[in-house]
Amino acid sequence: MKAKKGQVRVITGNAVGAYGAMVCRPEVVAAYPITPQSEIAELLSQFKADGVLDAEYVEVEGENSAMNVVLAASIAGARVFTATSSYGLVFMYDALQETSGFRAPVVMVNANRETPGIHAVSSGQQDMISARDTGWVQIVVENDQEILDQTIMAYRLAEDYDIQLPVMVNYDGFYLSYLAEAVEIPNIEDVDEFLAPLKQQPERQKLVPGVSIGCGTHGMEMGYVEARYKHCMALERVKNKVDEIDKAFGDYFGRSYGGQIEEYRTEGAEIIVLASGSAAGTVRTVVDTKREEGVKVGMVKLRLFRPFPAERLIKALKGKKAIGVIDRSLCFGWKYGPICMELKTLAVNIGAIPILSYIDGLANLDINVPHIERVIDEVNAAAQGKPYQEVTWIPMEE
Amino acid sequence: MVEKTKKKSRVFNYFCEEDQFAGGVAWCSGCPLELTARFVPKVLGKNVVFVGTPGCAAPVLHGQNVGAWHRLAYMASVMTGVPSKATGLSRYYRRIGQDATVVCFTGDGCATDVGFQPLSGAAERGEHIIYLAYDNEGYMNTGNQRSSATPLGAATTTTPVGKIGRGKTTVSKNMPLVMLMHRPAYMATATLSHLEDFAKKLVKAKEKVKEGFVYLHVFSPCPVGWRINSNMSIEVCRTAVRTNYFPLWEAEDGKPRFTVEIANPKPVAELTKLMRKFSHLKEDGLAELQKAVDERYALVKNLCDAYK
Repeated sequence: MKAKKGQVRVITGNAVGAYGAMVCRPEVVAAYPITPQSEIAELLSQFKADGVLDAEYVEVEGENSAMNVVLAASIAGARVFTATSSYGLVFMYDALQETSGFRAPVVMVNANRETPGIHAVSSGQQDMISARDTGWVQIVVENDQEILDQTIMAYRLAEDYDIQLPVMVNYDGFYLSYLAEAVEIPNIEDVDEFLAPLKQQPERQKLVPGVSIGCGTHGMEMGYVEARYKHCMALERVKNKVDEIDKAFGDYFGRSYGGQIEEYRTEGAEIIVLASGSAAGTVRTVVDTKREEGVKVGMVKLRLFRPFPAERLIKALKGKKAIGVIDRSLCFGWKYGPICMELKTLAVNIGAIPILSYIDGLANLDINVPHIERVIDEVNAAAQGKPYQEVTWIPMEE
Repeated sequence: MVEKTKKKSRVFNYFCEEDQFAGGVAWCSGCPLELTARFVPKVLGKNVVFVGTPGCAAPVLHGQNVGAWHRLAYMASVMTGVPSKATGLSRYYRRIGQDATVVCFTGDGCATDVGFQPLSGAAERGEHIIYLAYDNEGYMNTGNQRSSATPLGAATTTTPVGKIGRGKTTVSKNMPLVMLMHRPAYMATATLSHLEDFAKKLVKAKEKVKEGFVYLHVFSPCPVGWRINSNMSIEVCRTAVRTNYFPLWEAEDGKPRFTVEIANPKPVAELTKLMRKFSHLKEDGLAELQKAVDERYALVKNLCDAYK
């Protein structure tokens, strides 16, 4: 069975985030405005005012409360949604951990932006990276259509009986927030159909008045260990589930993204550029050009950041001669970028090949064609056995 | 022979729902918190959902692993998220038509300090939740540190008495008034020495929460931190009322009125002598505290008079 063709509209990434939530029929929504996400908070309010979104909408007094509202509503049994960015995500820090620790299937859209310390109203993945140890599932998308499709898939993942974890869908703030692209918005009945398998599953545990049930007990010794163990095992199960859901989505809606990672021209490639987010589009273009020039290069787009898709990456990268990793964020205390650092933990499985770390695209600086050409040239030289620089801050060397 | 029957006090009429707590729970001996926690569902019924925090109430309310000391549906929260979680619960329960009374049950530290922002937010939005703050005038569970509810002159472990230090140098945040300014559907102060007054306020709270936000501020002496004998906590409550240190009042639909009026209030020294957290106060210190008490009482009285 296939979905009917949806309505095609030219809308911004933020608007897509709001539509993505709306078509999934959330019952409780809470949001607090922040640049560059504000349009989502506004649009969802408008949907509610127009009567097309039948949800409780809580205009909270801060992001921490936004997360707490949706967390509790989710535990009570609701389908929930919130959206934030940067400082907002940082302000949710304690609530993020409670949400995953309580195993609440919350779906949140996060427009990536630099974090506090230096006031930067600009794009960067530092917010998402800084939240990596909060126990959430974190997915990074590349374009407007993917924001929408991944939001729908996020509900199918978060609410899966075997998963029951919060999912954060990340997209590059500013770049995608304000970029209007043609997007196909699926019919709401088709989204219902896609999410229907969740109804066939056993009902998850809910907090019901009058029933002796606690949520957020003191975890003592083995009680704590067992809960954490189960959380980690659920995160492991996420990996294959992401692939399965991506395939099911492709079968039904005709669009798929590769699941945990997308491999682009990796077959026959000797060197790989590992990228994520909106920069992947530019990398794809440069890979095409370089291939015409005879450079055997491919791209791996990281979609799933938490849990880290180790197995898929090993499979895609084993046998390659060198890898360049482009990070749009920093790993304080390590000289490599964060995604590069994580990839390096797989070196024993991939092989002792050069892994070059590139820091680029911070604070709204473009990861442009010349930058990527440079990355490919240097990685290619490293693959030939030439000396290379381990870490390069591209903007600092321009 | 005439059979003697002891007439039950009217107060029993209010506490008629089943006790939701086990006997022998792990609160300190003499702590009024246990009675407060038991009384709330005994008046409001078993469809109470408590939202609580780390603090004095947590050892019993949170439970441990899969063990619990009560039969209520319960959600634990970090101190910054209590009214927001209650909002999420209440909004969804109302949406699906589930009968529930969502009660935030926190100490003064959560209510007046670290958890104040979401409390203010939920009150402003008029969420259908009851927020009960048990005020033991400091962070008692972590070992008697000052909060913004700690009174002027009180010795705590972070406002200690020493060669120079004479206890807390500022007056406490006037939380009941702060909450009144949010114009809740209902707000009240209460304490255990005036149990019928407390019970009536709980009954009103259950009714008024259907219209909007309810705030209850419950004076709750801490035998350990205040250094009072464990058999004296109710007496301390009573004296606090009789000295106007903790006046009993309420505001229905924004209109404040006293529920208990003290004809001849005693000096605050009658209260401070019952505990040792003020024992370092000399005449001038006591005079300052008395001034603070008088000032605060006058403010509430003026408001009440304005609505008479």
